[in-house]
Amino acid sequence: MTPTPLTAALGALLAAALLGPAFDGRSVAVVVAAALLPTLDAVASLAIPGATNALAHNVWIPLALAGLLYWDTALRERSALRERYGWRGVRVGWVALAGFAVAGVAPDLFAEPGVSLLYPVENVYYVVDGLLLFSTQDGVVQTFVSTTADGPGLLPFESTGTTETRAVSTWVNPDGRPGLALGSEREFVVVDAGWQAVVLASAVASLAVRFRPWTRAGTETGPSADEAGEASR
Amino acid sequence: MVSSIVHAGFALVLAAGLLRGSYDRRALAVVLAVVLLPEVDSLLGPIMSGAHRTVGHNFVFPAMAALLISYDTRIRERSLLRERVADRGVRIAWVALFVHVFAHVALDWAHLEGVNVLWPLHDAFFSLDGELLWSSADGLVQTFVDIELDPETGDRRVDAGSTGTTQSVHVNNPIEPDDPETLAEAETIDRRFPVAGRGWRLYLVGLGLFTVLARRLQGDPTAVRED
Repeated sequence: MTPTPLTAALGALLAAALLGPAFDGRSVAVVVAAALLPTLDAVASLAIPGATNALAHNVWIPLALAGLLYWDTALRERSALRERYGWRGVRVGWVALAGFAVAGVAPDLFAEPGVSLLYPVENVYYVVDGLLLFSTQDGVVQTFVSTTADGPGLLPFESTGTTETRAVSTWVNPDGRPGLALGSEREFVVVDAGWQAVVLASAVASLAVRFRPWTRAGTETGPSADEAGEASR
Repeated sequence: MVSSIVHAGFALVLAAGLLRGSYDRRALAVVLAVVLLPEVDSLLGPIMSGAHRTVGHNFVFPAMAALLISYDTRIRERSLLRERVADRGVRIAWVALFVHVFAHVALDWAHLEGVNVLWPLHDAFFSLDGELLWSSADGLVQTFVDIELDPETGDRRVDAGSTGTTQSVHVNNPIEPDDPETLAEAETIDRRFPVAGRGWRLYLVGLGLFTVLARRLQGDPTAVRED
């Protein structure tokens, strides 16, 4: 499972990149919260067997929300969201959805233990991890998509098991199975690889630059851009 | 190297977040050019030992560039940079520097033998590798920097992921896909141009493409406001 701080960092990076004029403390908080929402299926797994990386980590929720947003803002004659919150509400809504799907769900797909993309239609965990390169001797080599794999699922990705056979361990639910397991050891991972530390530091530095209170009117940017980076590293 | 495409993907996300009103195709092109430029140091490999991940991949040159830009735009009475490229250009220069540090040097720092962090001041490759977690049994655990205490002499040894110097480290790249001595003896040379070597790198490529596509699809706020 992607470390929770990394999920928040990816949400913050998306917020900075996509909010545009709607960027402020509140809207960033909304997008980061949306990115963290899928993580809550780990809480659900305390009651529902195999809910982690499945219940909120599937394609259906983002698709349904996107359909709903599109219907409300583009197809209906009067959009409830726009009437209530104006243009900013629509922008924050779409970016929050991107935070949910792209920062909240997607990172889990690219590393063990994977996500159950089609849950609850099928309960197979998929993981997309491999390599893609061009070699002067072997031509194009790719191992992300495997069409020949005889896994249990419908999609042509490597499978790591089903919600029944594979229990995903999280800091909320260390053994991945229903029940509180109060006595067991819990690990809250901040980052578990160098690149994750880099992404986290980039997000902190980006937000520091965007929010920097020391901006002077008339000067575009300052030396702070790099210094903020140095400090957070 | 982490594939240039991965650098570019992460660079697009960071640039989109920092460029504000200066975001357009030309600004992105400048940022991407700055992100790809350091790989040129792999061309120096045949004439300088350990040039790749050294000449273009350190934190000293970016720090010097930051000092130069801030001296020119803040302290001097007439800024050469601002006169030539206006405020917009100054902002793009800062963003390009930020992106170079985070999306290129720092990402490579966390890959293979790392980068020559303080070259040319100090010749040593460092690799950023480890994890940081809080465990209910062991408390805060970090493995990025190893600190060893010799029980007999009381000497403290700090290892921040040092992997060697330009003399001992060769980071494989398409120009020199293996150690130069091995290459001299090899009959066929397999040059590999990676796109994404792991799932998370494919994710960063996708994240960059998604960001640019989403920015294109977004409506113009001023036009919508007039409705």
